[in-house]
Amino acid sequence: MLEIKNLHVEVEGEGTEILKGVNLTINKGEIHAIMGPNGSGKSTLAKIVAGHPEYEVTKGDIIYNGESILELDPDERSHAGLFLAFQYPVEVPGVTNNTLLRESYNTIAASRGREELDPLEFDDYIREKLELVDMKADFLERSVNTGFSGGEKKRNEIFQMAVLEPALALLDETDSGLDIDALRIVADGINKLHHEENSVVLITHYQRLLNYIIPDHVHVMIGGKVVKSGGKELALELEEKGYDWLESLATVNGEAK
Amino acid sequence: MAHPTRIEPSILHKLAKHLPENGSARWTNVRQKSMQQLNSTQFPHKKIEEWRFTDLRPISRTEFTHINDAGTYKASDIEKYFIPESDRSRLVFINGRYNETYSSIGGLGKGVTVGNLSRFPDDENVLEYLNNLVNYDDVFTLFNGLMFEDGAYIHLKEGAKAEAPIQVLNLYTGSEKPFIANPRMLVVAEEDSDVTIIEDHIGLEENSYMTIPVSEVKVKQRAHIHHVRIQRDNENAFHISRPIAYVEKNSEYHSYTITLGAKLTRNEPRVVQEDEEVDFTLDGLVLIDGEQVADTHSVMDHRFSHANSHQLHKVVVNGKAHSIFNGKIFVRRDAQKIDSFQENRNLLLSYDGLVNAKPQLEIFADDVLCSHGATVGQLDPEEVFYLQSRGMTEEKAKEVLTYAFALETIENVKVDSVHKLLIDEVYRYTKANSNPKVTA
Ligand SMILES: Nc1ncnc2c1ncn2[C@@H]1O[C@H](COP(=O)(O)OP(=O)(O)OP(=O)(O)O)[C@@H](O)[C@H]1O
Ligand SMILES: [Mg+2]
Repeated sequence: MLEIKNLHVEVEGEGTEILKGVNLTINKGEIHAIMGPNGSGKSTLAKIVAGHPEYEVTKGDIIYNGESILELDPDERSHAGLFLAFQYPVEVPGVTNNTLLRESYNTIAASRGREELDPLEFDDYIREKLELVDMKADFLERSVNTGFSGGEKKRNEIFQMAVLEPALALLDETDSGLDIDALRIVADGINKLHHEENSVVLITHYQRLLNYIIPDHVHVMIGGKVVKSGGKELALELEEKGYDWLESLATVNGEAK
Repeated sequence: MAHPTRIEPSILHKLAKHLPENGSARWTNVRQKSMQQLNSTQFPHKKIEEWRFTDLRPISRTEFTHINDAGTYKASDIEKYFIPESDRSRLVFINGRYNETYSSIGGLGKGVTVGNLSRFPDDENVLEYLNNLVNYDDVFTLFNGLMFEDGAYIHLKEGAKAEAPIQVLNLYTGSEKPFIANPRMLVVAEEDSDVTIIEDHIGLEENSYMTIPVSEVKVKQRAHIHHVRIQRDNENAFHISRPIAYVEKNSEYHSYTITLGAKLTRNEPRVVQEDEEVDFTLDGLVLIDGEQVADTHSVMDHRFSHANSHQLHKVVVNGKAHSIFNGKIFVRRDAQKIDSFQENRNLLLSYDGLVNAKPQLEIFADDVLCSHGATVGQLDPEEVFYLQSRGMTEEKAKEVLTYAFALETIENVKVDSVHKLLIDEVYRYTKANSNPKVTA
C-alpha cells in the first residue's frame, strides 16, 4: 500500500537534510508503530507523506498503491485516502468543525466515487462518529481546534479520521496529552476504525498506547533513518533500554551511515 | 451670495457657483458659514500628516461637473437593493436627491419620523442640530455643507422604538460626466428610543463620481442605535464619508462599516462621548483589490468616566490595493474607568498590496483599560496545509480562511437579510480573490 524508498528530505530552500534515506513498507491491513527520540524525523516523515510544502524530497520516492505521489498536492493525497493526524493540530478560527468536515467529506467522497451527503444525511452520519470518540455535539459548531484543550485537539483529529475513513492513517503522537480515560477511548476508536482494508501508522513515544492498539510492526527512527524494525516486543525492549543501544546503528565514525 | 474664491482645486470653485437655494434661512446660514470656512481651507495633500498616505490627486484631477449638467442616466432595476425588513421604512436618494417613488415610509409605528430633510426645514431638531454636530473642518465636509440639497431625517420621540430597520439607500447613477453627490443624514434619538439604520451606498454603473456623505447622529439618554453602513460604490467612484455620533448618558451606539467599493475611500467615523456610562462600537470590514485605496481615520473620544468602546477593524487586501487605518482613541483627563478595545487586523493576499496601520492613543486619565493592536499578515501556510490535508484544494482552503477572517466583523449585524447580504458580499470577494493575483 505504501512504500517509502531511500527517502531523503530537506527543509525547502535551506539544505538541511532531515530524512537521510528512510525505507519503510506498509501493507494493507497492517498497523505500524514508529518510535524514536525527539528530533529524529518522525513528524517530518509523516508530513512529507501528507505533502507538506515546507519539505523537499531530494532523493528516493514515496509509492502509494503502486504510484509515486511526490507530485500530488496534499488535497489530492487526501482524496487518494491518506490522512495525517497532526502532532500539533492547527487552530482555524472562524471555520467550524462541521463546515470543515462536510466540505472535506464531500470532496473526498466525490473524488472516490462515493455518494455525497446532504446536510441532513451528513448530520446523522457525523453523530454516529462523534459517539465513536465520545465527543460532545457542541464541538461541531466550534471553530476547528480553536481554544480546544490539548487532549480535545487530539481527540478531534481522530474524530476527523473517523468521518473521513482514510485508507492509510498516519497518527502523529495522538496519544500525547490524552488523559488515561481519553487514551482508552481514542485507542478503542482507532481499533474500531481499523479493518483489513486500511492501514494505520502510529507515531508514539509510549509503549502504553501499544497495549491498546497492537502493532504488527514497530520501527525505530534515529537521525533521520529507520535503524531497527521488529515486532511488538521491540517496543517493550525500548521501554526498558531506551535508545542508547541503537544510536550506534545510526552513525558510523560520527557520519550518517 | 458671494462665490468662494480660494477653494482648491478650481473645479470645486466652479461647482460652488451652483449653490442650491432650497431650505430655510437656517440652511442659507449653513451654506454661508461653510463657504466662509471653505475660503480659508486648504485642499489636503500628502504633506499634511492626516493625509500622508492617501493621494488625492485622482480627485483633484477629475473634471467634475454639476450634477445638472453631468448627463445622469435614469436609475432602473433598483428594487433588488431593497431589504425586505424595511418594506415600509425605506428612504431612497439618487445622486443625493430624494426619490419619492422608490421610498416607502410609514411602517415604523408611533413616535418615529422618517423623511427627507427638505420637508422639515424648520423642524426644531433640524434647527438645533443640522450641521452643528459636524466637527470636521476639511474641504469635503465644507463642500457638502455648501452644496447639499437634501438628506435623510430620522427622529425618534422619547421612548419610541422603531418597529423595523430603516434603510437609507443611496444610489448613484451612470452619467456622461463625473459629478459630485452630497448626501446628508440627521438622526436624533430622544431618551429611551431605539432604532436600527441600514445605510447603503451603491454605484449602479461604472462611471466616475464622488460622494461625500455627511451624517450626524445624536443618541440621547438611554437611547440605542444600531447603524450599519455598506459602501458598494463602483470602482471608479470616490467615497468621502463623515459620520459622527454623540452619545449621552447610558446610551449605546453600535456601528459597523463595510467597505467594498470605490476607487478611493476616505471614511472618518467619530464617536463623541457626552456623559458617563456609554457603550459604543465602531467596527469596520474592508475588502479591497485591484488598485483600490481605502482609508479609515476614526476617532473615539472618551470625555467622561465609565465608557465601554469597541473597534475591530479588519481589512483584506489583494492586488495592488492599499489600506490605511488611523484609529485615534482619546481619553480626556477626567474620564476614568474607561474600557476601550481597538484592534486592526490586516490580511494581505498579494505581494503588491499595501497596508498602513496606526493606532493612536492619547490618554490623559489613569484608570483606563485600553487594549489596542495592529497586525498585518498573510494567510498562515500551516492553516492552508491543514485544510488541504483534509481534502480542500489550495484555492478552496484560502477562500475558506479569508472568508473566516472577514466574517467576524459582520457577525453582529442583526438584520437578517443584511447579514445574509454581507455574507454573500464577503463570499463573492473571497471567491474572486482566493487565487492571489500577482501583479507585475
Ligand atoms: N521547517 C524546519 N526547519 C528547520 N528544521 C526543521 C524543520 N522541520 C523539522 N526540522 C528539524 O528536523 C528534525 C526532525 O524533526 P521532527 O519534527 O520530524 O522530529 P520528531 O521525530 O517528530 O520529534 P518529536 O518526537 O519531538 O516530535 C528536528 O531536528 C527539527 O528541528
Ligand atoms: Mg514529532
